[in-house]
Amino acid sequence: MSQVITLSNLKKNYGNHEVLKGVDLSIEKGEIFGILGINGAGKTTLLECIEGFRHYHSGNIKIAGNIGIQLQSASLPSYMRVDEAIQLFSKWKNKNLDPSLFTALNITEINKKLYYQLSAGQKRKLHLALALIGDPDILILDEPTTELDVEAKQALHQEIKKLSQKGTTILLSSHDMAEVESLCTRIAILNQGKIIFVGTTEQLAKKVNKKYSIKIIDENEEKEYFTSDIIDTLSTILEQYKLKNKPILDIKINRGTLEDHFIELSKEVRS
Amino acid sequence: MKAILYGIGLQFKLDIRSKTLLVTCYLVPLLFFMIMSGIFTSLMPDATQTLIQSMTIMGVSMGALIGVPPSMVEIYSTNIKKMYSANNVPLYFGIFTIVISAFIHLMIMSFIIFIAAPIIFHASAPENIPLYFFTLALFIIVSLSISCVLGLAIKNQAKLTMYSQIIFLPSIMLSGIMFPASFLPDLLETIGKIFPATWGYTLLCQLDINFFTFIPLLIIFSISFILILLLLKKAQSES
Repeated sequence: MSQVITLSNLKKNYGNHEVLKGVDLSIEKGEIFGILGINGAGKTTLLECIEGFRHYHSGNIKIAGNIGIQLQSASLPSYMRVDEAIQLFSKWKNKNLDPSLFTALNITEINKKLYYQLSAGQKRKLHLALALIGDPDILILDEPTTELDVEAKQALHQEIKKLSQKGTTILLSSHDMAEVESLCTRIAILNQGKIIFVGTTEQLAKKVNKKYSIKIIDENEEKEYFTSDIIDTLSTILEQYKLKNKPILDIKINRGTLEDHFIELSKEVRS
Repeated sequence: MKAILYGIGLQFKLDIRSKTLLVTCYLVPLLFFMIMSGIFTSLMPDATQTLIQSMTIMGVSMGALIGVPPSMVEIYSTNIKKMYSANNVPLYFGIFTIVISAFIHLMIMSFIIFIAAPIIFHASAPENIPLYFFTLALFIIVSLSISCVLGLAIKNQAKLTMYSQIIFLPSIMLSGIMFPASFLPDLLETIGKIFPATWGYTLLCQLDINFFTFIPLLIIFSISFILILLLLKKAQSES
């Protein structure tokens, strides 16, 4: 796979405060890459450096391809209609919006609405549509589903997955850990201006050495076991139930959520 | 080029949809024209000689100084600016389209006064019509350059209203359109010369081209233009 975004030793200061302390990162074509971090970790600054909105003091950013950007806080003139906004930005980019996206993002039904008449969710969809004009190679999404209802969120997730399947690289920043867990192929965790983890959510779980929780529910009771070796432990438990001829009603296996692992890793770094 | 032309057309439509510009570029100036022209011509019959010029100066000043800056604040002091940058729209686009659209609206309003004043109030038409419209265009451009400075420098609508009024009211009171500027105390007459309305009114009333009479407006425009460039540069670094 080819790398489409490469950051090397990226540093950025605000006065004496060092916000990015030498960030190294490589993102490959077609990935859905999530950037996580608590407030003040430097996520927005990092994204803004990649987007070209912010100057950085040292280091290097290499981007292979054109970028579409969906900003966290964006707006348009109140009296601009949806179709006019799409047409205006299409003319500036000299490219059009893929017609299939009109249907996918339900743009057709709000086409004639004025910007101020749109709901928060409709505005998000419009901002995404504008970012997708010209079929960008890289799509940067900053908190893409904030203020969206469940249905709209799911629809947007499906769209993001489809874009990734088409080969679009997606860089995503979100506070919604469940969203990152379900969408992202890899994540990076930013802590106090440094990347403290890059990899898959499974690799993160392994890194924090989170044990599996196995919950067995039978007719009489509910038992919980903790283990690092899921196969061995589960086989032993099932063997025991078989020997006792005790029926199992339900088995629940949980290795914690991305949120648990994120908190665990943050604690480790702090200590 | 296609994008700029589309943007100008779009801004013209946005201005019509947003009632602010309609009110400040058409409704109030034309109402003022109807009421004040009636009063002026009945109190001072000689007012018909300069009625078109004085009412036009009032209308253009109101539209440019009160009506246009809020549209600029909407773009340059909000996330619209960032949204434009994120979608390859250059920063000058907002200001450029607003100015062109406002220029057209103010020209239309001035033309309505030019046509209506002789019919309704028997006002005298300017003798040198091409010179009148050339001067009018220059005055509108200079007034709009000041509105650009206001719209780019001031970040919130409440403050903007205050500063717009600080410039608009003396422009009208001290320019000589309500009564001859020579009636004013020397200090106020001198202060009046800072505002383009005073020079615009003098120019609209002149019969022949005199290059020297254009100099004050050109100086005001040059200062405004430099300030606009600096403010756009600042806006660029802030986005």
